Parts: sequence; C-alpha cells; structure tokens
Amino acid sequence: MSAGGWAGALLVAGLVALALAGDDVSGYRFDAQDTEHALEGPSAAHWMGADALGRDLFARVAEGGRVSLLVAIGSTAVAMLIGIVYGAVSGYVGGRLDGWMMRAVDAVYSLPDVLVIVLLTEVFHGVLDAVPDLYRRLLALVLALGLVGWVSVARLVRGLILQAREEAWVEAARAVGVRGPRMLLRHILPNVSGPILVTATLRVPSAILAESIVSFIGLGIQPPFSSWGVLASDGFAAMRSYPHLILFPGLAILVSLFALHLLGESLRERLDPRQRS
Amino acid sequence: MTRGRRGGLARARIRRIRVWAAVALLAAACRPLGGEPPPGELRINLGTEPPSLDWALATDGTSFLLLEQLMRGLTRMGPDLRPQPALAERWEVSDDGLVWTFHLRRDVVWSDGVPLEAEQFVRGWRRLLSPQTAAEYAYFLYPVKNARAFNAGEIDDPSAVGVRARDRHTLEVELEAPLVYFPSLTTFMVTFPGRLDLVERYGVDWTEPEHFETLGAFVLEEWRHEYKIVLRANPKYYGPPPSLERVTGYMVDMDSTALVLFEQGLIDIVRLPALEIRRFRGRPEYRTLPLLRGYYYGFNTKLPPFDDVRVRRALAHAIDRREFPKVLQGGELPSGSWLPPGMPHHNAAIGLPFDPERARALLAEAGVDASTLPPVRIVYNTDQTHKLVAESVQAQWRENLGLAVELENREWKVFLKELVSRPPPIYRLGWGADFPDPDNFMNLFTSSSANNHTGWSDARYDRLVAEASRELDPARRQVLYDRAQRILCEEEVPIIPFFVTSLNLAVAPRVHGFEPNAMDIYFLDSVSVR
Repeated sequence: MSAGGWAGALLVAGLVALALAGDDVSGYRFDAQDTEHALEGPSAAHWMGADALGRDLFARVAEGGRVSLLVAIGSTAVAMLIGIVYGAVSGYVGGRLDGWMMRAVDAVYSLPDVLVIVLLTEVFHGVLDAVPDLYRRLLALVLALGLVGWVSVARLVRGLILQAREEAWVEAARAVGVRGPRMLLRHILPNVSGPILVTATLRVPSAILAESIVSFIGLGIQPPFSSWGVLASDGFAAMRSYPHLILFPGLAILVSLFALHLLGESLRERLDPRQRS
Repeated sequence: MTRGRRGGLARARIRRIRVWAAVALLAAACRPLGGEPPPGELRINLGTEPPSLDWALATDGTSFLLLEQLMRGLTRMGPDLRPQPALAERWEVSDDGLVWTFHLRRDVVWSDGVPLEAEQFVRGWRRLLSPQTAAEYAYFLYPVKNARAFNAGEIDDPSAVGVRARDRHTLEVELEAPLVYFPSLTTFMVTFPGRLDLVERYGVDWTEPEHFETLGAFVLEEWRHEYKIVLRANPKYYGPPPSLERVTGYMVDMDSTALVLFEQGLIDIVRLPALEIRRFRGRPEYRTLPLLRGYYYGFNTKLPPFDDVRVRRALAHAIDRREFPKVLQGGELPSGSWLPPGMPHHNAAIGLPFDPERARALLAEAGVDASTLPPVRIVYNTDQTHKLVAESVQAQWRENLGLAVELENREWKVFLKELVSRPPPIYRLGWGADFPDPDNFMNLFTSSSANNHTGWSDARYDRLVAEASRELDPARRQVLYDRAQRILCEEEVPIIPFFVTSLNLAVAPRVHGFEPNAMDIYFLDSVSVR
C-alpha cells in the first residue's frame, strides 16, 4: 500500500480509537454536566473546551464519533451491498430484465431523499419496537440511510459491468469456459472495484451529514447522545462567540473524510488488476 | 503569432483582475457593507413573513408587531403596560360593571380619508365572532354578551352580540359578567375596528399594500413576500407625527444570520441568539429585561405514573431552577410560581423549592422505584434553547432521583398537533402575555381552556380564577390568585413553572427613544434615528 494509504488507514484507526476510548482518555463522561465551566474554551482540563451545559467537548466528540462512524459506515455498507448485487445482476444479465430493473431504480431515484428517509425511519421505529431506544434509533438510521443510498450505487455498478462485459479479457475468460456467477465474482467485479470503492468512501461523509439532518427533525439520535453532525450544527449557532464548539466537530468530520479518501484511493490502486505489475 | 501574444496579454490582465477581485472581496469581508444607513429609516428583523395582516385572523407575534404600528384600538398599552386612551378618548362603566361606554375621538380618519365611526367596531367585532370567519382569537371577545354563543353557532343573529353604536362616536359594550381588565382586552389587535367595505371589495387581497387602509402612525408601503415589509409614516395619523419616515422589516429567519447583518450595519435592532449574549454583555448596544413570558413543563396527568400527584410533586422538587440561567445565559429569572414577576399579583413565595430529599421521599411514598421505572419521555419542539433545557432536566432528574429520561424533539406544527391529539407524558411550553392581567395566565389551566393539555381539571381552581376575574378589590384579588396558584404550583402540580424568559436585544447606537418593555411591544412612533 502507498504511503497515503497507510496514512489514511492510520487516521481512520485513530478516529475509531478516539471514538471507542474517548471518555476514558479525557476522564469525563460525555453527559456529565458542570455548568460552572459552561462554554469555556480549550484548556488543560478540557482539551476541546466545554459546551453550554459544561460538558467536556472532547468526550462529546468521541461519543459523537461512535454514532457518526457507526451510522455512516453501517449505512454505506447496506447501500453498497444492495447496490452492488442489484447493479451487477442488472448489468450482467442485461436485456429486458435490465430494462425493468433500471426503470425501478429510476422510480426510486425520483423520490426526494429526505422524505423517504423520514418515512423509513418511522417505519423502522415501529418495526423495531422491542429494541432499546438508542439502538433502535441507530439501527433505524443505518437501514433508512442505506436503503436510500443504494440506488446510485446500483446505477454505477451496472454501467461499469455493461462496459466490462464487452472487453477482450472477458471474451478470453469466456473462451476458457468461465460462466455465470464465477465470471461476475472472480473476473468482472474485481476489475471494476476501483470506482465502486471510491463511491463508498464518498458516501461516508454524506451519510454523516444526512444523519445530522434526520436528528435535527427529531428522528435521529436524541440527547444526551450526539453525533458529529449534530455537534457541528449546534456549534454553528454560536460560531462567532464560541468557535471551539464548531471547530472540533468540524475537524473530526474533515479528518475522517480526508482519511477515508486516502484509504479509498490507495485501495483502488491496489485492487485494480490493471495496475498490478 | 499576434493572436498568441494578445492571448498572453489578456491572460495577464485576467490575472491582475483576479488579484484585485480577491483584494476587493477581502476588503469587503473586513469592512461593514452597509455604508451610510438611510436617514429617517429604521431597519428591524421580523424573523418571518407575517401569516396575515388581517387583524381578525392574525395570531402571531410578527403580525402583532406590525399591526401595533399600522393600527390603533379603543385603548392602547402605555409604556407602563396600563391601557391608555387611543381611539376612545374616554370611557365609563355602569355601576353593575356590565356596560362599558367608549367615547371615540372625532378627529380620526383612515389613510383613505374615511372617518372613524363606532359602527366600524360593531362590524369588525361581528366579523371576528362570526363562525364563518373561524378566527382563532375570537375567544378574546367571549366576555361580551352572547359572543360565545354567536361564535359557537348557537345564535344566528349577529345583533344579539352585546356591542352597539349608540351614535357615530359612542360605542356601547355589554358584558356577560363584570370584567375588571376589559380596557386591557381592547388594546389587542383582534378588537381593532373593521373596514368591511374593503374586505368585501378585495377579498383576501385587502391586506396588500395597494388596498390596505389603516389609521395608525404608519401605513403599509411595500410588502415583498418572504423578503421585507416597508412601513411609511401616515400623514393622516391623528396623533403626533412619528419621527421615523420609514420602517423596514426584513424576514431573516435565523437569529445568527440577522446578527451578522446587525454587525454589518444593515439592521438596527435584532434579537440576540442565546449563545451570543455573553459577547454583548457590557456593550452599549445590549438591552435586556425580563418578559411576561413563562416557561414550563406540563404533565399528561392521565398517564401513569404522573396520574399520582406525589410523583408530579417529586419531579418538581428535583429541579434546581438556578441551573437554567447558567445554561441559557439569557438573563432568565427562575420562578416556581406561574404568575411571572412583573405581573400584578405575582407572589414570589409560591412554588415548590429545590429539595431532592423531599423529592425522593415523595417517590418512595408513591411506591415508585425510579430505577425500575421505564424511561420517562419529555417531548419538546426543535430549538437550541429547548434542547439545552431538556438536557439539563434530564441530567437533574437522573442525578437527584435516579430517573431515566428520554428526550424527543418535534417540528413546531407537529408538536402542537400532538399536544392536542395525544399529549406526551411530559412536554415543554411557554406562554407570553397577550395583555398584562393575571387572568391571561391563570385562565390557561382552567377546565375549559383549549391551551390546557395536562388533562388536569379542578373545580376549585376554575372557581377561584373566575371569581378573581370579577374582583375589583386588589387585596381580595391577591388572596384569590394566591390560593389558585398554590393549587396549581404546589398542591396539584399539573405543570412545573421553570423560569421567566428575558428579552435580549442588540440596538444600534443610531436608534433613539427605543424602550423595550415586558410585553415586547414596539412603540416605533416614538423612536427616531440619527
């Protein structure tokens, strides 16, 4: 893997470690309030400062990371899984089935995202009634965001496979007797994995933002739990007086985006058979 | 060759232009954009588009602010929040307290030159009360004889309503029962005189600038929907002419955006977002004062465990109200009594104090084990302030009682619907005074009030509040309200009053004569800009 790839992997690992161990490192619980220290800037006691309720922002960014990364990576995985299977079948089988499957995608595509996310979250809240509140909300978010995101993945994968199907190396594989799922899984998909991985890394930041929108209208994570998107949008309201409230959650989003990009780019290079020497 | 050279020159020029553009942008970003503010013009932020300027239909603060400048009623709130003569130069009440006679000024004309007549009040009030108008605030006139029955469709004859024009300039109002604060009611926008000729001629468009006729200190000059409203001084105004030539109200829905415009010198008066207040403290632009606006949490008293009064009292005892001003930073006044400080008959001694031991004892007495209780749900409308309050309450109840609390936020309209259809176990609400009389607050939790979402009703409370609304003697009225408040805030506790909200404004130094008051009424006819 390239140096950039290692750097990306390290950053992602660092973020995950921060998310998992944040409270323990800072020594504060993410929901422990201390209004005597409300809105204080960064200091030796509070490394990222404190919020309006005097809660340690470092612990909150760590806790928010748990939610944001879980929802973003989870929903991306759901979207990729559905999108790749759907797109691959549609593109590989082709013909009339392809036509019908793509019209279905068009129909789903025409629905406004936020509306569908709201509807699906409500439905999952109902379905998952027995699950404790926090996990129910997380699961509903992962599923709802994933079920909205698969459409563009399906289109991309289908296009890539249609293109690959006609290439000479596929002909060659077919000539030596490779057929069906084996052709798709062993020959075509690995060859088109580059753009798919890049899409996956791009979905993660947009899922972080989508989560904050859903939480804003009351269907996502509820206080005292938080997420990077929610922390950033709360901090935005006080940007001029207390810049630390938006700076650190914003940095967390920025760094995660950057790291996933580096990682994705490097994986793409590594996985692309054409670039293997 | 030539072409290539010219191309090179052009490129160099473009580069230079780019550099200058960057410099200009930087300079613009650093310097106020406003330049010289327009002389004689006050610029304020309305926050939102007023849903309607039809004063019979308006219910919201934005419409009220504008109509206070555009119109006048029989009476008008003075700076001391007592009703002053306005369109009525004087009034008297019959000995039995039932018949009020208002004598109108003779020199009042509307902006189209039509003179003011008592009949315009009669028609306006009938329109407000007519079931066809379906005005939400029709209940404001319910104290008037037969008004409630006419509004409910039980009486078809509008002339049965107790309002009559005795002659062109004398209005007679007959009430159902004596009401000490009736002249306070007639300051409110829904009681303004009506121009039904305009309503009939132009339909819903009668409030557009080209048709809208008013008789206040200002007239409507321009209404660019979802952008701004411009008021111009009314040359036909009967009172002293305002110093301002124009008032422009912008519709910037985010307070933080409006504040940026204020700091750029583009808006003269803005509401400060909660978290920006600390930065403005000590600056001459900063104005603050407590409003007649209470903030409370209500219980759905039909749902267990809140059907047990001991549980409700325990939760009230477990709240340390001093936390709220620390969290919100907006000069909130903690108050355990429902009548806010500044309201007549307020009594600071009323309310359940912070006492975690007592709270735990009450829970034990009720047989409730907080650790095994399913999480308690608080529902609030989406807003930074409400979220902070809810998070503080969540932490306090967990710490003081070991209670698990779940929070849920809703968009405002969804929230209001839910309050009516299936009230949440615990909800947050606020109440701002429509007129500065205790009845406006106490009436909220009577059995018949549409704003009582607690499911609680108490005949003693209803009786005390009704009796107090008729009581002329202030000392006896105090006794009645104290008794009612003790039932509401200490004995039955269908609500927990938290604090009184404060007004936090930034006012540009060029604005003179602007005095904020506890009802957040803007008296722009006495404001000037320099």
